[in-house]
Amino acid sequence: MAHIEFKNLRKEYGSTIAVKELNLEIADGEFLVLVGPSGCGKTTTLRMIAGFEDPTVGEIYMDGQVINDLEPRDRNIGMVFQSHALFPHKSIYDNIEFGLRMKKMPEKERRQVVKEVAELVHITALLDKRPGQLSGGESQRVALARTLVTKPSTFLLDEPLSSLDAKLRRELRAEVDRLHTQLKTTFVYVTHDQEEAMTLADRIVVMNGGIIEQQGTPMEIYSNPNSYFVADFFGSPSMNLLDGEIISKGGSAFKNDNIKVQIPEKYSGKVSGKVTLGIRPEHVKIVLDGGQVQDTIDLVEPMGKDTLLYFAAGKERPFIVIVDGLISNDFKSGQKVGLNFPEDKVFFFDGDGQRL
Amino acid sequence: MKLNKRNKKQIFEGFRYSTLTIWLLIVAFPLFWIIGTSFKPDAEWFAWPPVYWSDTPTLSNYANVWMGKEELAVTQYAQSMQKPWKALGNSTLVAMVSTSLSVFFGAILAYGVSRYQVLTEARMFQLLMLRMVPPIVIVAPLTLHYSTLGLLDTHLGLILIYFLTTLPYAVWMTKSFIDEIPMEIEQAAEILGASKWRTIWEVVLPLARSGLVATFLFILILTWSEYLLALLLSKTEVVTLPVELSKYEGSTEGRVYGRQAALAVGITVPLIFIGIFIRKHLARGFSFGMVRR
Repeated sequence: MAHIEFKNLRKEYGSTIAVKELNLEIADGEFLVLVGPSGCGKTTTLRMIAGFEDPTVGEIYMDGQVINDLEPRDRNIGMVFQSHALFPHKSIYDNIEFGLRMKKMPEKERRQVVKEVAELVHITALLDKRPGQLSGGESQRVALARTLVTKPSTFLLDEPLSSLDAKLRRELRAEVDRLHTQLKTTFVYVTHDQEEAMTLADRIVVMNGGIIEQQGTPMEIYSNPNSYFVADFFGSPSMNLLDGEIISKGGSAFKNDNIKVQIPEKYSGKVSGKVTLGIRPEHVKIVLDGGQVQDTIDLVEPMGKDTLLYFAAGKERPFIVIVDGLISNDFKSGQKVGLNFPEDKVFFFDGDGQRL
Repeated sequence: MKLNKRNKKQIFEGFRYSTLTIWLLIVAFPLFWIIGTSFKPDAEWFAWPPVYWSDTPTLSNYANVWMGKEELAVTQYAQSMQKPWKALGNSTLVAMVSTSLSVFFGAILAYGVSRYQVLTEARMFQLLMLRMVPPIVIVAPLTLHYSTLGLLDTHLGLILIYFLTTLPYAVWMTKSFIDEIPMEIEQAAEILGASKWRTIWEVVLPLARSGLVATFLFILILTWSEYLLALLLSKTEVVTLPVELSKYEGSTEGRVYGRQAALAVGITVPLIFIGIFIRKHLARGFSFGMVRR
């Protein structure tokens, strides 16, 4: 177990700034997910913990010690790479055993440990094979096993599931979760997949342009995004975001070409000019008569449990409402219905994307 | 007549095989001629019209060259100069040691260039350009320096110059093989506790093995058959096979083609055997990077 801390961390590659200024603490045994679009600095951050990149400015502490100058092998860290990075010329057994051999563990003991770990991640049958003979899911399990045997204090996982298909990804996601619960070790997990972040994390750190955009538990991030970026990034389907402006004739209202809504009391006086209104698809209430806004259903998309209704209000991006799949027969495209935006579920973002 | 797909394919195949056959004949003919000549009795060396394959093949050329049958030596002088076994020993020692050094240091330098950019692309190119200088340009001053340094006509002298002149090739060739090894595989080894040298030894070198073998053979052929430097930097002691070969054609000895051919076969055969022995690596080594894996 390890407690990791970044102080004023910055990483530049020539004139490119990968990480601007990072101050972050990762608690012992925490499952922290770094999430963001490509180029946001999340992988660079992970690689600085591993020791593959030296910070341009700032310190990394591990259990109170500065580890900036420690070689990767002296940091007691395990890393699972996006490409799995198995040694193609060694058997699966030799791949897993490698770390133990480097630690000069006696051979008898090594054999025992490899066997145990292989059982833990269900790859005992693969030990004699070569990496080239494995499927994507199998080689990911081997990569996990190879890291597990060395009993690192911290696991770094760099988009480990991104090369797998959707079903396998869900399976291995559960596996990673199970391992974390079992090992109670610090996990730092990098992904660009918001769903992975939501399901795995104790805490999510959203990065964008080399800085932390927001951090918090998955539910905090989801239900209380503090910027347009975070609101847009999390959720599937993502938050409905409508560009428009505030007009203050006869009480403040949000207006664009298609809709006009009175803005909640708590926002009056706080918002003005061009803004973006955001509301999650599951929070919009549909009424057959009346409602704050009347709009026409463009498309009905049954998904089984839920049904997605697409509305004309979204011009540049779809405006979606989720309704229960059981009542989907009540709606058809071209139908005009009323939409209600519950006051406490509506967000406003200014021109810079900051939450108002 | 409109050609269908099948006809087109047949024509293409026909063209392909006839081209390859012509190419094979062009490449193989000199080899055939040398082997043929090595079995010809004296009278047929200069015969006109040429004798392609002797009706009365003889082993006397081989016996003369390789077994030192004195009565068969062409002249007194030639006999004193012709020491093929010694030349074979010299060639083997010089070529093997210089090639090993070249590939070893070339691989290390290439690793540095590939992973740490110790040389820029431009410097790498300059390194190769250096090799474009014709050897005759450097050999005169080099002879002078070698003479003062006591390196003239020594194994060390030849090994040194071969090592230095082939190093650029070694760096260039091995670099492309090392470039192909994903950085993440090395980093995986490092984070599992391997030192840098350990990583190179256990991960990089085995993965670059086919490339290193191909490079080794390429440089071995260069040094094994090098003539000019060997001629000018040696006198009587460190005579190599190509220099030895030239002694069968001179103003004092005349043109002893049959003997020369017998020696030439002896020079070529080891390389062919090495090539067959490592062909698995060669096919992989020379096609490395051409196919997306």
